[in-house]
Amino acid sequence: MVLTAIDKVGAAVLKATDTFGDFAVLAGRAFAAIFKRPFDVKNLLFQFQSVGVNSIPVVVLTSLAVSMVFAVQLAFGFKQFQAEGLASQVEGLAIIRELGPVITGLMLSGRVGSAMAAELGTMQVTEQIDALECLATDPIHYLFVPRLLASMLVVPLLTVVSVYIGFWGGYLILVGVEGQSAYVYGNEFYKLLAFRDLRIAIYKAFVFGMIIALVGCWKGYRTQGGAEGVGNAPTSSVVTSSLWILISDFFLTKLMLV
Amino acid sequence: MAVIDVVNLSKAFGPKVVLSNVNLQVEEGESLVVLGGSGTGKTVLLRNIMGLLTPDSGHVAVEGKIIAQLSRKELFEVRQSIGMCFQMAALFDSMTVFENVAFGLRRHHKMTEAEVRARVEECLSMVGMKETEKLKPAELSGGMKRRVGFARAIALKPKILLFDEPTTGLDPVMTDVIGRIILDLKHELGITSITITHDLKSAFEIGDRIALLFRGECIACEAPAAFKVNPHPVIQQFLRGDADGPFLQDPPPPKRKSMSNSKEAHA
Repeated sequence: MVLTAIDKVGAAVLKATDTFGDFAVLAGRAFAAIFKRPFDVKNLLFQFQSVGVNSIPVVVLTSLAVSMVFAVQLAFGFKQFQAEGLASQVEGLAIIRELGPVITGLMLSGRVGSAMAAELGTMQVTEQIDALECLATDPIHYLFVPRLLASMLVVPLLTVVSVYIGFWGGYLILVGVEGQSAYVYGNEFYKLLAFRDLRIAIYKAFVFGMIIALVGCWKGYRTQGGAEGVGNAPTSSVVTSSLWILISDFFLTKLMLV
Repeated sequence: MAVIDVVNLSKAFGPKVVLSNVNLQVEEGESLVVLGGSGTGKTVLLRNIMGLLTPDSGHVAVEGKIIAQLSRKELFEVRQSIGMCFQMAALFDSMTVFENVAFGLRRHHKMTEAEVRARVEECLSMVGMKETEKLKPAELSGGMKRRVGFARAIALKPKILLFDEPTTGLDPVMTDVIGRIILDLKHELGITSITITHDLKSAFEIGDRIALLFRGECIACEAPAAFKVNPHPVIQQFLRGDADGPFLQDPPPPKRKSMSNSKEAHA
């Protein structure tokens, strides 16, 4: 009984090590392939559109909703202490430091990471990735690199969009509904912030973009087992990348706020 | 020297041994047909030749280069001289027929767009698919997809063509069309080829030699005429297409008498 339990723990540790090693090797190959020729500009531009332009509505709507709800909560909470003026300061702090990058990262892991996993998964089970290999084309270079570059560049840009929309979401509630002065809101929103905070948010978004693309492509590339495998790949990709986004957010915040 | 040299090739997936000490040589310009039941390792053989799988023991050499020992760059150089036609065509479904055929040309050759267009049209006309270049793979039938797959495989002017069950799942007429296209490619391009098929008619038309894989081993590899009269019971059973014999591991269900026979017996 004890031996069986140890056996199971050992097998789980081996499997986890194997999985992490596989991810690390593929991620390393993807980064190394960035500088290899040929540079597929057309494919890269298509990914910019797919990851970036097509994600704008989702990011705008979620950022607006989250910033508005957050403003409602802040206004209600600070009213208890007659400190309504603090609401816009905390709103700015939360949106730029956390909500902007994290909400953008989580939404894109659902919209973009899952699409990457499904697309590459389908290509894997229909032998299209083998066909790439047979046509002397490295699938990591052809499939991973444009998605990785697009994600790393676009997630920070969308985070800036999210922060901008977050400002107006808070404005709608705190100025439009709660009756605060627009001038005061505009000044207070940035009061607790330094330029460093925006820089940290952009760094975080950059890492989240990396996670979204690498996990999505990795899950798709390793798809096995036909339709069931293709079905599982996006789910697994979203769960894994969302977890990694939240975990890395903690460590990045801890590291960069020192 | 053989263009493709398969030496003592063995491959297993877990406990299941798929290929066991397979030896095959294909000479320049020769067309080898590999026959065998489902799951006997025919596709695994092709995947080892392409370097998509690594042998457990033995090796595959293409033009004297041992595939498993090549660096990734060297492997890609060798692959440019091999055209692979997949069982279900494996066309890139996000691209049009034209883009599929042009893919290798655009990536590996510094050709102008006009030259690419001319080569794609040439390849598509060789397989009788000239009018389809703007279509997406989803708009093609099974036979059309295979033919576009052939066009994509020959676009880079390979020295070797590998066909993985090119006629499986097609009707007899389309099977004949595919067989003729393979024959045309063989005669027009003088390419060395390995064709995996279950279709005996096209196997005897296409093959200069025919090999039979049985339970992971190559039990025969000879000219079609000699293959036909080979007394090996497995070969004879395969040629007859009969369920009774040593071919199947599990005994087949008993043969029922047809209705007309049983009526006659009652009368």
